[in-house]
Amino acid sequence: MAEEITRELTMSRAMVEAIAGEMRADDEVFYMGEDVADYGGIFDSTEGLREEFGYDRVMDVPISETAYLGAAVGAAQEGMRPIAELMFVDFFGVAMDQIYNQMAKNTYMSGGNVSVPMVLTAAVGGTYNDAAQHSQTLYGTFAHMPGMKVVVPSTAYEAKGLMHNAIRDDDPVVYLFHKRLMGIGWLPAPDGPKTPVPETDYTIPFGSADVKHAGEDVTIVTLGLHVHRALEAAESLAEDGIGAEVIDLRSLVPLDTDTIVESVEKTGTLVVVDEDYRSYGVTGEIVASVADEAVGALDSVERVALPDVPIPYARSLENEVVADAGDIEAAVRRTQ
Amino acid sequence: MSDDGDRVAVTLAEWPDDADSDEGVVVNWFIREGAAVDPETSLCEVQIEKVSVDVLAPVAGTLEEIVVSEDGEFARGDTLAWMDPDDE
Repeated sequence: MAEEITRELTMSRAMVEAIAGEMRADDEVFYMGEDVADYGGIFDSTEGLREEFGYDRVMDVPISETAYLGAAVGAAQEGMRPIAELMFVDFFGVAMDQIYNQMAKNTYMSGGNVSVPMVLTAAVGGTYNDAAQHSQTLYGTFAHMPGMKVVVPSTAYEAKGLMHNAIRDDDPVVYLFHKRLMGIGWLPAPDGPKTPVPETDYTIPFGSADVKHAGEDVTIVTLGLHVHRALEAAESLAEDGIGAEVIDLRSLVPLDTDTIVESVEKTGTLVVVDEDYRSYGVTGEIVASVADEAVGALDSVERVALPDVPIPYARSLENEVVADAGDIEAAVRRTQ
Repeated sequence: MSDDGDRVAVTLAEWPDDADSDEGVVVNWFIREGAAVDPETSLCEVQIEKVSVDVLAPVAGTLEEIVVSEDGEFARGDTLAWMDPDDE
């Protein structure tokens, strides 16, 4: 029998626990990024690691994403297991060649002579008025490019298991953590991401979506912060007798189409909720993937995503464009 | 079972030296009421002037009662929770 877990962790602490565990087990694992050593990560993603492992293995880097992401790619090809943090995912553009053309493709371009076992971590998401260049999720931008696995934890339990799996993976993994879920004092998380977390190591395989709430009437597919908003909507819908099944994707690449299709074949209704832009993104891809496999099962479809606008700074405007539980609930009701 | 007189108060042992404020806020509880913990287990995280500090269990025992819940404010020396210590 599993021992009863009495402690709960925030998502940031669960992430750090997995990284620390891998660093203790393997000297080749190291972390680098902006403000990850002395500051502990501006969203607490590396809190305490420098104190245990020192500056050689937890490195603050100059503000040149091209330089240090390129260094990570090179170190990975030479057999190390770097974790490199992009402070905000929005900054990917200055290092796009390193990410899109080197990290993602070098295994292929070398004819399989090198592998790139690195993890690219990045903070994603809005809801705290940080404006258009610090609030995006860009899930679709990373999931679009072949060669990168893309994972998005929604709770502390997922954060630890996905991180263990990411570091042990022999290919590049993009690990996108939502700032609002980390459990930081100045950026309070909703109820939900702080969960019991086993003290021992465990992995969550990529491509395994998790049914967070079972229901018979509608399938809500989502990820990250919006898992919690969808669960809130599901509670409210249940009061009116509408059973919502909430599926947490956990990884975008690989995508667990089977779990989604199985649910849609039961409910006939698909609502996809995403914090990324509406066009050419996660919502369209999920709908298309279900249509490919089970178009006959689809009676009704709704997409809830960010309108195709820059994310506004003003609180009232940002709240308008980022879907809340009420928006999800309304989308579900439109399908009924 | 023990009465109130045997309970052990959980407080922040060392207030940060560089803090001007005598007030803090509880950010996260990691242990629920009724759970048994070892001494030095991190029970909760508090924040004083944006500095996060963990509050550790003073003894082995059960976290009996949380006095200051998440987002609650407290002053230097306040009891944050009560523990029921294990019998030696």
